[in-house]
Amino acid sequence: MRAKNSLYLFTVPALIVLAVFFVYPIYLTFDMSLTNFKGIGEAKDVGWRNYERIFTRSRYVDAVKITLIYTVLVVVLQNISALFFAAILHRMPLIRNFSRAALYTPAMMSFVVIGYVWQFLYSPINGGINVALRDLGLESFALNWLGDPNLALFAVAFVQIWMFTGFTAAIYLAGFAGLPSELEEAAILEGASSWQRFRYIEIPLLRPSITVAVMLTTIGTLRTFELPFILTRGGPDGATRVLSIEIIDNLFGQYKFGFASALSIVMLVLVLTVAFIQNKVLRDAEKVT
Amino acid sequence: MQILKQLKLTTVAALALTTATIASAETIVLDVVAWKGNEAQPAGFPELLAKFEAENPDIDVELTYVARKDVDKLIPPRLQAGTPPDVTMVDPSLNKLWGDAGFLQDLGQDSEWYGNLKDSVKSILARGDEINIMPLEVIGMGNFVNMGILREHGIENPPLTLDEVVAVCKALEGTDINPMIFAGGFPAMLWVGANGMAVDGPARGEYSTGERKFVDDELFNASLNSVRTLVDEGCFDPKLQAGLDPWSTALEEFKSGRSAMLPQGAWNIGQFSRVEGLDFVFAPMPSVNSEVGMALDLVGPGWAIPRDSSQPEAAAKFIEFFTKEENLSVFLDAEGAYSPFVDAADVMPELAASYGAAREQDSLILWPFSTLEFSKTLQREWEESLTGFLLNLDEDNAETLQRWDDTVEDDL
Repeated sequence: MRAKNSLYLFTVPALIVLAVFFVYPIYLTFDMSLTNFKGIGEAKDVGWRNYERIFTRSRYVDAVKITLIYTVLVVVLQNISALFFAAILHRMPLIRNFSRAALYTPAMMSFVVIGYVWQFLYSPINGGINVALRDLGLESFALNWLGDPNLALFAVAFVQIWMFTGFTAAIYLAGFAGLPSELEEAAILEGASSWQRFRYIEIPLLRPSITVAVMLTTIGTLRTFELPFILTRGGPDGATRVLSIEIIDNLFGQYKFGFASALSIVMLVLVLTVAFIQNKVLRDAEKVT
Repeated sequence: MQILKQLKLTTVAALALTTATIASAETIVLDVVAWKGNEAQPAGFPELLAKFEAENPDIDVELTYVARKDVDKLIPPRLQAGTPPDVTMVDPSLNKLWGDAGFLQDLGQDSEWYGNLKDSVKSILARGDEINIMPLEVIGMGNFVNMGILREHGIENPPLTLDEVVAVCKALEGTDINPMIFAGGFPAMLWVGANGMAVDGPARGEYSTGERKFVDDELFNASLNSVRTLVDEGCFDPKLQAGLDPWSTALEEFKSGRSAMLPQGAWNIGQFSRVEGLDFVFAPMPSVNSEVGMALDLVGPGWAIPRDSSQPEAAAKFIEFFTKEENLSVFLDAEGAYSPFVDAADVMPELAASYGAAREQDSLILWPFSTLEFSKTLQREWEESLTGFLLNLDEDNAETLQRWDDTVEDDL
């Protein structure tokens, strides 16, 4: 009994760190979200007015919707492409290490550099992509990538997918490395094709890696800020205005620290809810297999 | 002999050390924070600070560059902790925010420099019977015109009215030159502002109090219609340019020499001037409300002394230094800006002559977003809704203007 209690004592340092650096800041943010604090001076209590404003203005509800759409796009496409590259590289051991490093390179670069490079590539007037398309005689495919509200979110999502596919592929490659080789050898002996091995052996065995990759991508994308901010600043006309841009805009553009705190709490609840549901679904799927 | 020489040297060294110690004990270190004065935007500070230190040998200025966007994060904690810089750069919005919170010292409306401030600037910056900021500049926003392109097509002067802009667009029709950069955010705002506001028009405050509605306003309706005219006359492709970044891509486009006009701020004069072969002028915004174009002035930053400054006297000397015309003009010359003081010399380059002429003829409006007559939320709504407007010009003006009224109502 005493030994059991002393085991709990070992968790105290971790709990203190959690309480000081996570729980307390969240409490402070929530407390600030009930005020009209402007970042300086006295804060006046405004009750739930900030939250009422968030849920009664289409602007903020739209920002939540855009954040969710963007997240679904990035998570699905990034994981599919990462899994594709990982599966290919798993079958090509000779070029695996080099290709993994090459794929990972964009994730090591600064968001600012990547954002500005892609902004110029996407530029509608003399941007690299449109110029290349015109030179190839594909004029009709030269589009206003970041200026068309129907296209901008996809264009921004593409950059994020391009940037982090290598990172997610590295997670899947680690998963592939842990697969029991005898299973694959047996499947080859049984005459299973590459696709059949991927579909019926590798995918089920990769479930834990899929859980990790999908969870990390989802949480990272829900909180995303840099690329939409640099590429479009939330435009055109709010088409790429994710929740984090709205928070920063209210915080440092409008000096509405109280309101931005309320938005942050909404975002936290959103991330926790999505992560919880996703974790439950993915873990259940792991048990089934 | 050797011992004597060593003794002499030791004495001299000791004396020098003592003198240096006394001197350093008397030297005041003035902590100054500004978002100008770095390598990219020196603003004449190296020269000015050297001069200030020469005139005040007991003061050593330590200038810290902090980007404007970082000022919001770095300075408030210092103000609240009671350890602020001795002098800090502020703009009208920070003047109001920090001044209202009581963190800025009153510089005194009885000072000589305050008496010399232009009335329009005074009315914006004074807070009751206090003044917390010594403004450094009033900077213009207008139309950059590539005169090299225009002259090639037989046009000798920058366009100042809607008709003249249309004439430029017609002259460039069928060439590979883009007549106008009209990005959805800032450039579109400048056009709509210059054509929606008139010198003798309604006071801007009437809109921001909700007393006057944008949606019913003839001037702003006409202004949006003027954008349609530009599109109809082939000045720009709205769908192509709506999402163009006005702060990077648009500037690069103009610098490339492939575009004839770009509405932007005079702070770009420096970087455009460094582009070899770019023959341009800075003109007032073409407007349907003026024959000489509309100068849009923005009240720029100034100096303030935080309440808890540890060196208030040295800080006051520093501010006083910048109120002298010979010093301020160095800053203004580097900035491409006008003085906020009456009867001050115009140090703007010749390429801004037509902008200056519009100002002299009182075809001038103080940009209401810089005077805080229009709120920051309204500015955001203008930027976004004008992008939406460019993407769907068939939509009724009311769709755009009503959004501005809704924002004003929300602010109230």
